[in-house]
Amino acid sequence: MIEALQFEFMRNALFAGLFASLICGVIGTFVVVNRLVFLTGGIAHAAYGGIGTALFFGIPYIFGTLGFSLGAALIMTAVTMRTPERSDTFIGVLWAVGMAIGIILIDLSPGYNVDLMSYLFGSILAVPAGDVWWMTAMGAVTLAVTIYFYRDMIAISYDVEFARLRGVPVNLLYFLFMALVAVSIVFIIRVVGLILVIALLSIPPYIAEKYAKSLGAMMVIAVILSAVFNITGLWVAYMLDLTSGASIILVAAAGFFISLAIDLLISRRRKRAVARSRTENAPACGCGL
Amino acid sequence: MGEPVITAEEVFFSYDGVPVIENASFSVAEREFLAIIGPNGSGKSTLVKLMLGLLRPDSGKIRIFGKAPQKISHCFGYVPQDVAINRSFPISVIDVVLMGRLRHRGSSRIRDRDRKAAAASLEQMGMAGYENRKIDDLSGGQRERVFIARALTTDPDILILDEPTASVDTGGQAELYSLLQELNRTKTIIIVSHDLMVMSSSVTAVACVNRQVYYHDQGEITQDMLDMGYQCPVELIAHGQPHRILKTHEDES
Repeated sequence: MIEALQFEFMRNALFAGLFASLICGVIGTFVVVNRLVFLTGGIAHAAYGGIGTALFFGIPYIFGTLGFSLGAALIMTAVTMRTPERSDTFIGVLWAVGMAIGIILIDLSPGYNVDLMSYLFGSILAVPAGDVWWMTAMGAVTLAVTIYFYRDMIAISYDVEFARLRGVPVNLLYFLFMALVAVSIVFIIRVVGLILVIALLSIPPYIAEKYAKSLGAMMVIAVILSAVFNITGLWVAYMLDLTSGASIILVAAAGFFISLAIDLLISRRRKRAVARSRTENAPACGCGL
Repeated sequence: MGEPVITAEEVFFSYDGVPVIENASFSVAEREFLAIIGPNGSGKSTLVKLMLGLLRPDSGKIRIFGKAPQKISHCFGYVPQDVAINRSFPISVIDVVLMGRLRHRGSSRIRDRDRKAAAASLEQMGMAGYENRKIDDLSGGQRERVFIARALTTDPDILILDEPTASVDTGGQAELYSLLQELNRTKTIIIVSHDLMVMSSSVTAVACVNRQVYYHDQGEITQDMLDMGYQCPVELIAHGQPHRILKTHEDES
């Protein structure tokens, strides 16, 4: 791995992975505690419409995806606020519509076709240095907004009615955070693909939540876990000559299932300990009441 | 008892065309200890949310100190129903209580004096020393105390508790009521309950809710008791509980 770092593309891949970890760990924590994984997936997929649009109209790719993901985030968030109980259907529809628009517009565009695979799994080994700078900037913005609105974020995520009573501009901040999610997704998709985005946004925060005592701690743990998954995945891909994005996802997934297995073991051990103390202390008849 | 702190005039509210509150008119006096009772699904929590300004009436007017509830929501200390929501959320006791200091005097920052205020409320609720525990690790009764501490940290004029005794055992309930009685010396207290057993002698007024709102204040209880039998919905009469409560009440006084 160390000797691999003498290649510029490998260094860029590592930095891209680390900055993606930073953004995903922070944003993903907000997404997971607010149960917005599905909505975030919807935004990421709807952004595909932006690729087709950009190709068809010959505008820069980044404007197309930013437009679509921000638009999707805005509409999905508004619907979720209005009718939370049926918003999943609506999100699913927008998700599909965004992708369909993208594919049709690519069909209609003259010339070469965009490779769907590279969009889904990204091409972290082909990240240009310029993109790493973009991700650095995005990471800094994400961190600054999160630190400034940290208390509001806790209140909105934990008890939205109480936040509203305290005069927190709940709707405004909700849209702000979702816009941050949308913009982050666009920059990260470009380098790691949308499936990796969803994996990195959901898996590390999910594991972190169980061990964290505060939202901040959850973010820190999620960032570290995500970085570990990224580096390990890259290393596996390099050693075995595999697709890097998919390798990172599988490493993260392995982490996910190991954490589930550990949970199961702990809860079994606890149950056994309780049962043992019951049989030891129980009267002869065995009714431990 | 001074001027009314809350007045409702002909308030109507519906969810998706289903009427929940109909023609509610009442006024709550200062330092009243009001119990809002009624069967499940009778609109008690809706009535509370209308008072808090979290919901807006379809028609009619609710005024808090003569102003719209949304404009004066900082006067409320609110303890929501079901403090067990969001159980897996990683949050410490102190962070929950500090929510009560959000936007205190307009600021979104948490300062040292906010932490001191939060610690003082926890102490008042007998929860000092639990600051850094995860909220999920506490018992139902302890969580309830933390949520009351959060409401107190806002330095409210009106304290509203929605079903506060749902997760508290009988001993804890008695303690909770003596604490509320103490707080009632300076604050108006509104408590929602369908568990009528818990009413204590500290209650000075009862609002019986089943879409309509029947407001009884203690002075006229004997007369009201009779009225209540006719006015209160069938479910409540069947339980016979409001009458028992009010009788207990009378015996004690």
